[in-house]
Amino acid sequence: MKHQQYENWILMDEELNQEQQRDLHGHLKQCSQCQALYQASHQITHLFKTAPEPALAAGFSGRWLVQIDKAEKRKNRIILFSTLGAIALATLILFSTVGLELRSVVGNFPQMMFELVTLITNWIIFYNQISDIITPLFRVGAKLLSPIWLYITVFGLSGITAAWTISYYRSRSMQKELN
Amino acid sequence: MCKDESQLIAKAKAGNKEAFSELVEKYQKPVFSVCYRMLGTPTAAEDAAQEAFIRAYQALDRYDPERSFATWILSIASNYSIDQLRKNKVTILSMDSDKHAWLAPPDPGPSPEKAALDKEKNALVQTILADLTETDRAAVILQYWHDYSYEEIAETLDLSSSAVKSRLFRARKLMAEKWQEMQLISAPNVNSAAKRIAHETSTI
Repeated sequence: MKHQQYENWILMDEELNQEQQRDLHGHLKQCSQCQALYQASHQITHLFKTAPEPALAAGFSGRWLVQIDKAEKRKNRIILFSTLGAIALATLILFSTVGLELRSVVGNFPQMMFELVTLITNWIIFYNQISDIITPLFRVGAKLLSPIWLYITVFGLSGITAAWTISYYRSRSMQKELN
Repeated sequence: MCKDESQLIAKAKAGNKEAFSELVEKYQKPVFSVCYRMLGTPTAAEDAAQEAFIRAYQALDRYDPERSFATWILSIASNYSIDQLRKNKVTILSMDSDKHAWLAPPDPGPSPEKAALDKEKNALVQTILADLTETDRAAVILQYWHDYSYEEIAETLDLSSSAVKSRLFRARKLMAEKWQEMQLISAPNVNSAAKRIAHETSTI
């Protein structure tokens, strides 16, 4: 039998039958190379089996609980910052796109921004003025009228407005038909 | 898998960390052992074992209950240790160096002689494992220290059984050559430790 076969038998972790074992031991008596390999293999196995197991410092699972809390906080921070980053990026893209679109209409970017600020300011002024008129009106109304009358007034005014709007559009369509 | 363990896993999946910490308690020794043999130092092993359990907890949704939890957790620990070795090029410590004298296990045992022998044996183990590739080393550790079959090693390291067989064959050959080399070199502690092992095996 070839030398390689005996090397395979020594190094393969497989059970040999009685005949193979006799064959191998006969070869080991003649071949110093295989004998050295056989001994080394057995000595390594013995070393690994008898090497002391490392001792683990006490409180491992307690330290794990601390570590997992830290890891979860770190993960949550990453999620939060990546979400905020994505929102900021999306906002930037949106504003840039809208800005580029409006630039062609308004002229240039600083002018567009000025128009935008003016528009927002006017809306705020308009809201404040309406609020200044309506709020005292409601306050006085609430004092003079009982809540049921207030509802009747509000619904009545809304009904009159709706009726007026409908009649206005009907008269316009009739006017168109006559023309 | 026992009923208790599957209940703990179910609770942990629902976000119960205390339940998972019971699993940590149960598997801390084998996980630490794999990391220690892979990385060579108790500090690196503790960090790797902690990280392996954190990864396992975070990946619990992907855990297949049909699979053994022990194999799954050791798979995470082995693969994390392999990654650490590749990333940081953690040097497996050589027994020739005095600066690595602290490699001895933390609990030296009752007698100084026993402590010295344990230290020598652990240093020898690390020297022999040092020349193996990361995956071969993991396969050897799982076979020799955890008595895993070829199939279990294959499942743990995501390899085929035949690949595990050939890796272990190659690893055994390399280790035997290294052992023979070590017996020839002149370092006195190498000789004494290796001779002691040779003597022990000859008397068995």
